[in-house]
Amino acid sequence: MDDTKSTASGAGQPAPAARTSYEPRPKNGPGGRRPGRFQGPRPPRVCPFCAQKSKVIDYKNTDMLRRYLTDHGKIKPRRKVGTCARHQRVLAGAIKRARHIALLPFVSEATRGE
Amino acid sequence: MPYELVYIVRPTLDEQALATITEKVDKFITAAGGEIIKREDWGKRRLAFPIAKFTEGFYSVLQINLAPTAVRQLERNLKLAEDVLRYLVTRVETA
Repeated sequence: MDDTKSTASGAGQPAPAARTSYEPRPKNGPGGRRPGRFQGPRPPRVCPFCAQKSKVIDYKNTDMLRRYLTDHGKIKPRRKVGTCARHQRVLAGAIKRARHIALLPFVSEATRGE
Repeated sequence: MPYELVYIVRPTLDEQALATITEKVDKFITAAGGEIIKREDWGKRRLAFPIAKFTEGFYSVLQINLAPTAVRQLERNLKLAEDVLRYLVTRVETA
């Protein structure tokens, strides 16, 4: 419907991008949030570590671990990355090990001011 | 018990001195009654933050088999080795 209208009304304005997928957001229950307030991008619904089969989180895999750090080098909260409680705990341990052997920063270089 | 040992050696050493340290660490393990299953040298790598004013270090990762009671002795030896900047002994979870 939108498409036909925009072609008919002429080339003056480009048609607004069609919203391809619209799903109503759950207002409560697990993963639900308070309506009427912007709360940022939603994390994936399933824990990324439960989704994958491998049972251990390797502290030497820094590329993977870096995804769970903020730009400052802090560990991202569960609400941002969507990990389950158990895996968040294991992940935190792996990050801390990686920090000990200087594979990951405690504080990022930019924040340290170097 | 399977353990994993990671240690960082001073970046200022030449190849020969590095080989000496490598041998020394191997000896720490074998002397404690352990065996080295696998050794992986990562070479010189940038540290995420300076340690003892060094911004780089030689990384080595070892898979070892060691008696739990001998871990303490191994860690003590690594702590006393001045060329070793950092080390980490972790238990490898057998699933």
